[in-house]
Amino acid sequence: MKEVTVEVIGVDPPCKRCQATYKNVEEAASTLKAKDIDVKISHMTVQSKDTIAKYGVIVSPALAINNVVKVMGRVPEKKEVERLILATVK
Amino acid sequence: MTEKTRSVRSIIMLIFIFFTVGYLIYSRIMAYSLAPTMKPADFHGLAIWEIPVAYMVDYFSHGWICLLFAFVAAGLIYEFIPKEAITKYMGGNKVTGYGLAIGMAPFLTVCSCTMVPLFAGILYIGAGIGPAMTFLLMAPAANILSILLTGEIISWELAGVRIIVSLVVALTAGIIISKTPWGKAIEKEHQQSSSGTQAAIEIVKPPLDERLWASLKFAGHLGKQILPFFLLGLVAVSYVEAYLPEDIVGTYLTGVTGVLIASVIGGPLYTPTLVEIVLGKGMWELGMSKGALLSWLMGQPYDVANALAVSRIVRWKVVLTYMVIAWAGSVIFGLTYGILSGSL
Repeated sequence: MKEVTVEVIGVDPPCKRCQATYKNVEEAASTLKAKDIDVKISHMTVQSKDTIAKYGVIVSPALAINNVVKVMGRVPEKKEVERLILATVK
Repeated sequence: MTEKTRSVRSIIMLIFIFFTVGYLIYSRIMAYSLAPTMKPADFHGLAIWEIPVAYMVDYFSHGWICLLFAFVAAGLIYEFIPKEAITKYMGGNKVTGYGLAIGMAPFLTVCSCTMVPLFAGILYIGAGIGPAMTFLLMAPAANILSILLTGEIISWELAGVRIIVSLVVALTAGIIISKTPWGKAIEKEHQQSSSGTQAAIEIVKPPLDERLWASLKFAGHLGKQILPFFLLGLVAVSYVEAYLPEDIVGTYLTGVTGVLIASVIGGPLYTPTLVEIVLGKGMWELGMSKGALLSWLMGQPYDVANALAVSRIVRWKVVLTYMVIAWAGSVIFGLTYGILSGSL
């Protein structure tokens, strides 16, 4: 079992686009479970200094996989999230 | 998905985009109006329920392409603009900060819910209170949707004046606030916490067909968010045009009083994006002066909802300072434009 952490960075309270991103990541995670990849999803808010200090992301929604920002300022499709995660664990 | 299906999908979407752009150009060549063309007198003799219906049929029969183009353009620009550049350069020197704040405002704020988080982001990343303020004040007037609709529905002259004037006011407010003791205090607070940012960013770009699809989807998302308010606005405007007597508008919305009244009601009255354009057009039709119209349109940055959200990030003193500057700007430039254009 390989482990991957995915952080969904969005505004708080969550806007529609951040929710859509989160849902796509969840769906990708359940698909990847069958391929023996364990995806840990967490939520970060873009309006916090911790997020800015860690990633410098100010345009939401954004996605960080294993502490590297891969998507910024748009909603990634489920397939795209899967591809990104697979590319990371390889 | 194979390469072939990807190219087919891309081509279909590109055809749709070219059709939208082409049709807009065609409508400009044929030079018909993309704005509502009904005059207040046309509403006489219509039943109460017929007024909004007639107005909307009139508007959508020729204005649909303008709306479609505005949303598609906004979606495409938002999707394709490289957002990671902001992170890279925003923390640099002051001039770059102001430049980016101005350059970014038209493209990143089509969705009003992103404005305040972006304001916070600019501040937290260490660009300083000045650029953050400039961005916040510039954004409502300068986003792609409002530029296109101000231009098509009211006039391109006014759209141009609106951008230049908001730029001047936004820059002035940013520079003044960054010099005040309370502005400096907030800047200092945030500068310390954000030093030594070493972010790991490796943006991976998806294939073209997915990007095009995402931008069209975003255009649809914007439409879903904005159009309901826009339609309600059209209903309101149709009644304003039908029932508001022209002599009231002529008395109160012209001259120096007109500018003052317009600047005051344009602010606190929370008008969702784009509605202020149609409402302004309606009042202009009834005899509001151009000077007052400009003041009315410039009222957006200091509306109450925005100020409340911003006051949670910076203190009330800063909010009050920028509201006063923005209000003064809208009065001064409303008067100046009124005098220069001969319509005060």
